[in-house]
Order: sequence, then C-alpha cells, then structure tokens
Amino acid sequence: MPTILDLHSHSEASEDSRAPLEAYLNWIKLRRHERPVDGIVLTEHRQFNAGADYRALEDRFGLMVPKASEVETDYGHVLVFGVTGEMTRRFDFANVRLGAQELIDEVARMGGVAVPCHPGRPTVGLCEHYAAKPPLENVVAVEVLNGGSRKGEDDRSMQLVRTYGYRAIGGSDSHLVSLIALCATRFEADVRSLEDLVRELKEGRYEPVDFRPRRKPVPAAVPDEVRHNGG
Amino acid sequence: MSITKFDAVNIGDTLGPQEIFLSKDQVRTYARTCGMDVPRFTDDEGARSEGLPGMITPGNMSMGLLATLIDGWAGPGGLRRLGTTFRGLVLPGRTIRLCGAVTQKDEAARTVELDVWLESDEGERLVVGTASVELK
Amino acid sequence: MAVDYDPALIGRVFEVTDPVSVSAEAIGKYCAAIGETNPLYIEEAAAKRGPYRTIVAPPSFAVTFRNGRHFFTHVPRFGSAGFDAGKDVEFVTPIRAGDKITLSSHVKEIYEKTGRSGSMVFVVVRSTVRNQNGEVVAHIDHRFMNRP
Repeated sequence: MPTILDLHSHSEASEDSRAPLEAYLNWIKLRRHERPVDGIVLTEHRQFNAGADYRALEDRFGLMVPKASEVETDYGHVLVFGVTGEMTRRFDFANVRLGAQELIDEVARMGGVAVPCHPGRPTVGLCEHYAAKPPLENVVAVEVLNGGSRKGEDDRSMQLVRTYGYRAIGGSDSHLVSLIALCATRFEADVRSLEDLVRELKEGRYEPVDFRPRRKPVPAAVPDEVRHNGG
Repeated sequence: MSITKFDAVNIGDTLGPQEIFLSKDQVRTYARTCGMDVPRFTDDEGARSEGLPGMITPGNMSMGLLATLIDGWAGPGGLRRLGTTFRGLVLPGRTIRLCGAVTQKDEAARTVELDVWLESDEGERLVVGTASVELK
Repeated sequence: MAVDYDPALIGRVFEVTDPVSVSAEAIGKYCAAIGETNPLYIEEAAAKRGPYRTIVAPPSFAVTFRNGRHFFTHVPRFGSAGFDAGKDVEFVTPIRAGDKITLSSHVKEIYEKTGRSGSMVFVVVRSTVRNQNGEVVAHIDHRFMNRP
C-alpha cells in the first residue's frame, strides 16, 4: 500500500520554528482531504533528540513521526535519515561546516541515508556548489520539491536529477503549522517504520508530490523522470 | 467591525486575506513618521546606491500591517505576542496580501495561536510569523 | 566551529534610553501611517468610552521607539553590519497617550547558522519597553543577522 510522508519539517525544537508537533498533527487531521499524508519526518536543525518519544502522539493521530535531522555541510544542507548514536558521536550535528562527502559515505556505512535538501537554494544548496566543485559521489536522492523554495529553485533542483540521475523527494520544510505537508513524498511500498523509510529511500520507488493550492501561474507538474525513479 | 469571540473560533479559521496596494508614498510616510527617514526607505535611487533593487518597506512596517490585521480580528488588547521573520524584501508600489490562520487553541488561557504572513502578489511569503492572541 | 564572543556580554544591560513622551497626535500619525482606523486609537470620545478611558496606541507602536545613539556600538558584530532578520514582541501593557517611554537593552543570545545568503551569525538583542511607572509595556527581541 503506498505511503505518503512529508520528509522535511521543523518543530519548535528547531530554533526558527514555533510549531509544536501536536499542532502539526492536528492540522494534518483537519486538512486530510487536501494533504493526505501518513506521517511527517521531523528534521530538526543541527540536532538529533534521541530521547524524544512521539509514540503517544503517533497513536492518538494515527500518523507516523519518524525523527531525522537537517545538518549543514560544505555542499549545503543535508537531511540525515536513520540517525544513530554512532552517527552523532562521529559527527557534531551542531557544526555548520560538516564535510558532505564524508557525511554521505559514513551515514550510509552506519545504516542511514543522507539526502541533500533544497539543492536549488543559493549558498545552502548543491547546485551552486556543483558549479564550483566536483560533484559528490554516492548521492542517492535529492529534494526537488521543497515548500520553502522561491521561484526557480525547484527547477534548478530538477536539473540535478536530469544530469546525475538522482532519485527525487519532496518535503514541506515547514516552520509554521499551516505549512505542514504541503509537499511530500509518495512511496510505492508500505512504509511503517524508520527502517522501512531508510530502505525505501535507498532502494525503493518514490516520487515527490505537491499538495499546494494552485495559483496563477500554474507551476509545472512533476516531470515523468522523477516519477517512479527507482528500482 | 465584529470582534472574534474565543468560543466561535476553530482551528483552521483564516484571517483575511487582506489585499492592499502598498504605495511608495505610504512607505515614505511610515518611514518619516517613525524616524526612519533614510534613503533605503524613501528613495529608489538612494536605495540602489546601497545595493538594493529600489526602496524597500521597513520590517517594522510589515510587522505593523500584520499586527493591524490581527488587531482588527481579535479586538484591541488581544494581541499578546507577535514574532516575524523577514524572508524577502517587500518592495513598495505593489499589491501585497496580509493573511493568517488559527493553528492552536488553549481552552484554559482562552488564547489562540496564529500563523500570519505577508505575501507578494505572486503568492511568495516575504514576511512570516506567529502570534498569540487572547480572545474574549 | 563555535562563534567566538565574550560570554559576559550576554545579559548585561548596555543601554537605557531617555524617556520619550507619547502624545495622542503621535499615535494618530502612526495609525495613519499603517492604515489603522480603529477609533479607540484615534478618537478621544471613542477612547473615553473604551476599556482604557484614554487614547492608547496600537500594539505595534511599541516597536517604533528608537534605540539610543550608541546602540549599535554595543551590539557585537561578526563581519558585516547587522541586517534586521526579524522581531519577536511580547505585548504586556498598552501605551497610553501621555506616557513616557524608555528602552532598556541587553544581548540575549548569539548563534550561528547557514542560509540562502551564506554563513550567518545571529545576535538577538532584547529591548524592554517601560512606561513612566516602571511597568513593562513590551519585550522586543531583535534578531540581527551578520555575515562573517
């Protein structure tokens, strides 16, 4: 059964967000018809709270809340899924200058997956870094649909997919309650756990999905090459 | 003007959108009224000499516009907190929209939390924030 | 790499401004500038019938008070001059016509992050706005973004 998850969001644990997790989940419940997600991944800035336990909220709302992180590297921001104690001992997530290649490779070796986010964004996205430095190796996927993107940024991200054959994810990058789950990722497989998520990101079939209300001008539909880009 | 009552509010209710044409004269008036009579807020050429695309709207003014939206919805005295982040330049001489949504409700304190934002006529959110409001 | 600064900076009040008198006229001009039309803020008769019995300022008036002339000499810099990245304001007591307002400021927090415009150091300054009775009118947290 397909699973739809918002893979990029920030709760009040991130210093620039005031959104409590419960408010996010309540908003999704209210807006289910517009944003039919099965859960959200919390990707807090520069930290990972191993002790945070959201099972009670998951049960109450019937939504998954896997935990991940958004860290800052020499190639821009990167989402880290499947964070372990070994990873947080190996890398100081608060460091705004982590080595991206090392991060990608070590996270993979430790059983997780690191996905560059908002690659089309100036300074903190891959595109600009690729213009000046060798491309990273072993990149599995990039985020081509980000709810916080400005005009043209997601189009630039799509170019990376076309050039390098990366898989593509979507996420809201929400820092406000009302923006949660406006962008997400649709997995063909049944994703019920963090382990499922990491496995599917590495090997599965998925595509970004856009739940934002259409405005004039109508944004381009997600191109075919990022649909089912896996397997 | 009707003031919103706590018991009548639901999570998901919206404020506005209030669409206004933010004229350069209005921005100049604000800047001069508030002791900010400097080129970046009053003069296109002067702003360009500072590396800006033209004169810009002071962040305080954007905040004031959002506060006015909230005040009109909640009634005077209701606004307890307003936090804003300036994400992009608000260039005058264009239409902007002031928007909000009720995201949380605290029954004990009789307060609500709002998401509020100022967006360009192309729907880009230039100023975003949250507010806490006490309602009767 | 952590941001380098003197920890003693945090919390130390570096400025208290001289009192500024607030007139009904000044409030009226501010309301006109932001398009505020509520009679409680601009009409004496309506204000007298209202909850405060006098003209009060709309809440955002609290952010319009100027910091002292030497404010920015006390705000730590990390590279470029600080851009206004945003404000968090807590509104406590309305400002009434006739009030005399002071601002008292201290550095609340310093932190680093990267964003669209590069590596940034944020300096958060809290200004506490008080009236002539020493009552807190508002707390304003200004976020200044510096580019090292």
